[in-house]
Amino acid sequence: MSPEQKAQLDALLAQLAEGDRGAFTAVFQLLWPPVLRLCSGLLKNDADAADAAQQALEKVLTRCAEYDRRRPALPWALAIAAWECRTFARKRTRRREIPEEQAPEAGAGSGAGSEDELAQRQLVQAAAAALGELSTQDREVLLATFWDEASSVSGATLRKRRERALKRLRDTFKRLYGLD
Amino acid sequence: MDSTDLSQLERRARRRYEWARARRAILGFAPVLMIIAIAALENRHPLSALMFGSALFLVGVGLLWYGRDIRRAVLPGLGMGLFPLAMALCANHIGHACMGDRCMSLCVPVCAVGGLVAGIGTSIIGVRWKQGVQFWAGAAVLTLLTGAMGCSCVGFGGIAGMAVGYAVGLISVRKR
Repeated sequence: MSPEQKAQLDALLAQLAEGDRGAFTAVFQLLWPPVLRLCSGLLKNDADAADAAQQALEKVLTRCAEYDRRRPALPWALAIAAWECRTFARKRTRRREIPEEQAPEAGAGSGAGSEDELAQRQLVQAAAAALGELSTQDREVLLATFWDEASSVSGATLRKRRERALKRLRDTFKRLYGLD
Repeated sequence: MDSTDLSQLERRARRRYEWARARRAILGFAPVLMIIAIAALENRHPLSALMFGSALFLVGVGLLWYGRDIRRAVLPGLGMGLFPLAMALCANHIGHACMGDRCMSLCVPVCAVGGLVAGIGTSIIGVRWKQGVQFWAGAAVLTLLTGAMGCSCVGFGGIAGMAVGYAVGLISVRKR
């Protein structure tokens, strides 16, 4: 998303939060591609990613009244989407009634390649779960860092916040999984 | 996802957006139910207080749900409406004033004064906030409905008194 589009999204989401229904379609069209991309990256399954992205986008638009116009809209929306992916992955695990690690994806091949893929997927899910435990601000900072999105702050403040957020993420990961 | 799916998703998201706004509006305006209950309990005509209270609740929720500029009229409109409401409820308890062998109900003059205060207050806020027609209309409706819950003590005379007072207050400040 270009900086112009990001600025446009900030303004449109603020309008939508105020009740300007005219901004709805534009916000929807601007948010759908990055939300779908994030969900695809986190869930590694096209069908699940599409379902999770739909739910995430509905949630973003439902909660747009909570949007703080002083902060950039995209990291805020992606933080909600990341959380939604985590919830979706949990639900999927429960629905299958077997642990996620014992349920390989349909069509996944065997051998070292698929094992790597499985391990990577589990790692991403674990990271998403740990990310979900953090505060909204920490999540936004980390999403801004790793998805190359604009943040509400820059320079030394961003560096400091990123440092703190990463430390909290490490602590949470350690607390949840006992690993660094 | 093809464009049909996306347009269906957009429609669904729009419905959920409207529901979320409506839910927030109802929750945001819910404390006013306490004021309506007090007005109905303290009024000699609880039915009319409830009628105006219901209208107030619907209008308030509607304005908050709609949003944009008119949403800003809710708090000033409601707050200013509390002047005539409180004054009318107090006048209800005092009853009437007698001068010699003539007695009169305090409700109508008190409502007119309350309306005047509310009109002046709304005007000051509207001018300071540099609001448009939507704000003035929304605030006027909410103020009059809030005040009417108390000013219906002597029927429509009290409400008319408050409306006249409100109009005088509004115009006098706006003309300056």
